[in-house]
Amino acid sequence: MDILTVIRDFLHDRLEIDPATIQPETTLAELQIDSLMLVELIFECEDKFHVTFERDTPAPKNIGELVVIVEEFIAESKKTEQT
Amino acid sequence: MTGHRVAVTGLGVVSPAGQDSRHFFGRLLEGESFVRLFTADEPPKPVTQPAIHCTAFNADAALGRTLASSTDRSVQMALASCFDAWKDAGFERSQRVGNPDYGVSWGSALGSTSTWERGYREMWQNGRDRLPPLSVVLGMSNAAASHISIQLGLGNASLTYVAACASAAAAIGEGYKRIRNGEAKLMVTGGSDVPLAYAVMKAWEALRVVALGDADSASAACRPFHPDRSGLVLGEGAATLILEEWEHAETRGATILAELVGYGTCSDHSHLVRPDRDGQVRAMRLALEDAGLTPDDVDYVNAHGTAIIEGDAIEIDSLRTLFGERASQLPVSATKSMHGHLMGAAGAIEALTTVLALHHDALPPTANLDTIDASCEGVRHIVGAPLRNTGARVALSNSFAFGGCNAVLAFRKAEAA
Repeated sequence: MDILTVIRDFLHDRLEIDPATIQPETTLAELQIDSLMLVELIFECEDKFHVTFERDTPAPKNIGELVVIVEEFIAESKKTEQT
Repeated sequence: MTGHRVAVTGLGVVSPAGQDSRHFFGRLLEGESFVRLFTADEPPKPVTQPAIHCTAFNADAALGRTLASSTDRSVQMALASCFDAWKDAGFERSQRVGNPDYGVSWGSALGSTSTWERGYREMWQNGRDRLPPLSVVLGMSNAAASHISIQLGLGNASLTYVAACASAAAAIGEGYKRIRNGEAKLMVTGGSDVPLAYAVMKAWEALRVVALGDADSASAACRPFHPDRSGLVLGEGAATLILEEWEHAETRGATILAELVGYGTCSDHSHLVRPDRDGQVRAMRLALEDAGLTPDDVDYVNAHGTAIIEGDAIEIDSLRTLFGERASQLPVSATKSMHGHLMGAAGAIEALTTVLALHHDALPPTANLDTIDASCEGVRHIVGAPLRNTGARVALSNSFAFGGCNAVLAFRKAEAA
């Protein structure tokens, strides 16, 4: 499953947000995702993609930034597996 | 009695009879038990008990998906009963008042136990090595009070009382004191608990005080004051009373359902589980003194009456001691026979019942009481039909908890000064 779909499913399930309104440029503030919901969302991504966000990862401002962060961690994780 | 008068202006409940407090009370008057056989089908082995399970409660519908997904079931029930009580008192849920004179005083014995149990199961049973980040805020013991303050915009105290089965009575009493002492104008008070978590059911089972019953007999399993009583019935649910400074309620044109006139609390300081007559009598006396009333003024007692063998007899002994010769004429009922034992919310659902009994001049019966145990004789047990049109003006709601925590509330029919 791709990252954007996981995010859309999670926000639809938890906050009843219409998946169509969740686009890369949509900000977390627009979606009313507070710090608590963001850590839940990160937890969901960690679970689904078997990655671990570093504690000092900068908080994403929009959905696109979150997708990029997850992609980077997935790439990092694959690199670690290969070595 | 000194200080401000305290009005009850709104009620809310979550019960197997739904969320309409008047409908719930009407079914209690009919002597209808909501107890059914309940099974928690969990490993290592299912546990089955007669219990109160709110099967129709729909948190998403009552609270909205967003709030429901970030709260424990006990908090969901707390919020649902508060929203209904808030509306009953004449406010809109959307009207977050943001008022520093309005607060919340909540009771729960178990808090968000289900959340912690789920966490343990995930780790130790399902092999997960981490828990969702919201676990802390879902599980914290003051979650109900906090969500209530946030949802309704209550800026005064946000306090949570834990006193086993007297938790909600203490919460209501302490909230009442804040209004009476001029520290608040309105307090959202009550309690919630969900004791149908697997480990909680197993723990009570081990104590050998849970009522016995099968699918056919479950509804009659809770038999306070009966010679065949075999124990209590665990119940989930919540109840809310909106308490309000009398003039404040009158000024905004609220309907006053009853007056909370007294509160007495004390400790038996003797034994963890065996109730003590002297402690119970002291708590009732304190409530009456606080109200400026005497035992002769009392027209009805909603007993703690759990159907535990020793406890029922001791409570009746306390009533005989306090009320003397008049005890035999004093109407008493144990409504736990119908709505079960809501643990930390028991004092709230019984206070709600007591308020409606005065308001409608209709005293509910003790269900399943076709024979009175010799050790429980000496009061006027209400059996079969409710007592209507007795002109009851003053009623006590007793909560006598494990740990020797006693809390008694004294209500009076709503009357102008």
